[in-house]
Amino acid sequence: MDCEKFDRIVLDLLYEELDELTSAAARRHMEHCARCRGIGSGLRATRQIGGLPLVEAPAGLEERILSAERNARAELSLRQRLGRSISVMAGYAMRPQLAMAALLLLMIGSSLLFLRAKPGARESVHVTERGVPESESETVTVVPMPAKARAGEPASEARPGLAEREGKREKSASGADEEQGFAAAPPPAAATPELAKGDDKVETKATGGAALEGDGGSGDDEYDQAMADYRAGRYGHAQKNFDSVANRGGGNAPTAELFAAQAIRNQSGCNAAAPRFESINSRHRGTNIGNEAAWQAGDCYRALGQQDNARRSYKQLVGVAGYDDRAQRALAALDEEPMAARKAPAKAAEPKGGAAAGAKQKAAPKAKPKPTTSDSF
Amino acid sequence: MATARGDATDEMLMVRYQRGDREAFAELVRRHKTPIYNFVLRQVRQGNTAEDVTQDVFLRVVQNASEFKHEARFSTWVYTIARNLCVDHLRKQTHRRHPSLDQPITQNGEDSRPLVDHVADVHPRASVERTAVGGEVAGRILQAVEKLPEEQREVFLLREVANLPFKEIAEITGVGENTVKSRMRYALDRLQEALSDFEEYARALR
Repeated sequence: MDCEKFDRIVLDLLYEELDELTSAAARRHMEHCARCRGIGSGLRATRQIGGLPLVEAPAGLEERILSAERNARAELSLRQRLGRSISVMAGYAMRPQLAMAALLLLMIGSSLLFLRAKPGARESVHVTERGVPESESETVTVVPMPAKARAGEPASEARPGLAEREGKREKSASGADEEQGFAAAPPPAAATPELAKGDDKVETKATGGAALEGDGGSGDDEYDQAMADYRAGRYGHAQKNFDSVANRGGGNAPTAELFAAQAIRNQSGCNAAAPRFESINSRHRGTNIGNEAAWQAGDCYRALGQQDNARRSYKQLVGVAGYDDRAQRALAALDEEPMAARKAPAKAAEPKGGAAAGAKQKAAPKAKPKPTTSDSF
Repeated sequence: MATARGDATDEMLMVRYQRGDREAFAELVRRHKTPIYNFVLRQVRQGNTAEDVTQDVFLRVVQNASEFKHEARFSTWVYTIARNLCVDHLRKQTHRRHPSLDQPITQNGEDSRPLVDHVADVHPRASVERTAVGGEVAGRILQAVEKLPEEQREVFLLREVANLPFKEIAEITGVGENTVKSRMRYALDRLQEALSDFEEYARALR
């Protein structure tokens, strides 16, 4: 410590407002510095000798003050009384106990938000196929269905929720009946081998409409029999029964037509099936059935090497919801196929001087495209 | 557990008074009436006036009790009130002649001793160290204090009579702490000069 700093703190030292460390440093400095020692001792002596004595307050002063206090309290204005009350309440509000109690209440209150009903309180929870509770999203109830629905009841009515939802997936202005019918259609046969060109796999999917049917049955015995045959690979019988259902008419007729065509394709190949698909497409154009028929016709034409026909079929589906992407990719794949690959089937099929049509049939008699899975149904 | 009234701080007593505890106020009066009265007396120099002003100080405390914040120090608050009342009174008295130390002080019409004699009375509770060594010394001290400029005198009184730390004095007077210390240093230097003739003082210096 130097003299300059001592001058700054000398009063604090005198009135003992210094911390221990600084105080000790100041005393050490005074021991070595005569000037500062003189200042310090002079101030200390002045304070010791020159301290002002306290005069006792007059005897009646306290009573006068308390009496004045009583009077003043009685004369307090409303505003002052209110201020005092607020002050009292604020005094209580500022207490830590109150703050802790408020915090506790807040915690209890917020925890109530996380309380749930006991699991098992309900008999069953209805969920959709996607695992979402029915009450949170849709009105579909997934419950076991009896093997056979009531006779005569339309297939779509047996599972109205599914039909309704599937119908939403692909909106068609005029195909409501067919949509419902197809939604109830059984699944097709197992997936057929992929297209011969491995790298050019056409994205196909299992027929969704059929997949949706499950084990429920349609309520039409002949239709169910046809479906059973189809699943068992008895395509001849299946085609016969599907044709019968189609000829009979009704809600299942369009679906039956499509499955009949698929049965022909699976049994006899694309050469025989393509015209059927074309026929269905032309009769049900713009509906789901028609679109699916167009798609499968396109696949058949592609398998047969009839690129132009395939392109025409795919083009029909450009812009159609659920088919647009697939159709675009199929068209792109067609464009990318090397010229040789497109011409090869034709050359191979064309006999020397023979008819082109007959040759084409020979070239790809059993060409089968992978059946579409079209869960867009 | 509630703190006993005698152990409670001034601030706790004031908060209790805000909640309606009048005994707390009585305790505050008992604690502070003498130092406040002395502070006022050294400023206004008249016993009766000092008594009235002291009463007014506590009256202001009553009237403004709701404005007291428990974070504040009671001593700072009450001496600010006392200082302001003294300043007001002194302003009103500007045209009057300052009373001399030889002028008799009247308290309730009974006492007629001069102020010097009053000061020379040794307060029974005052520490031995802080006791003036005699009437002559006390008179010299009071004269020296009276001659101090007003701002130095109030700092000196707040420090020596009210025993407030420099930080609180700075708050009360509205100036910086260093300014307060500087004023105090000047005041002590004046006292030193006034006491330099006394043998007792010279002995204390050794």
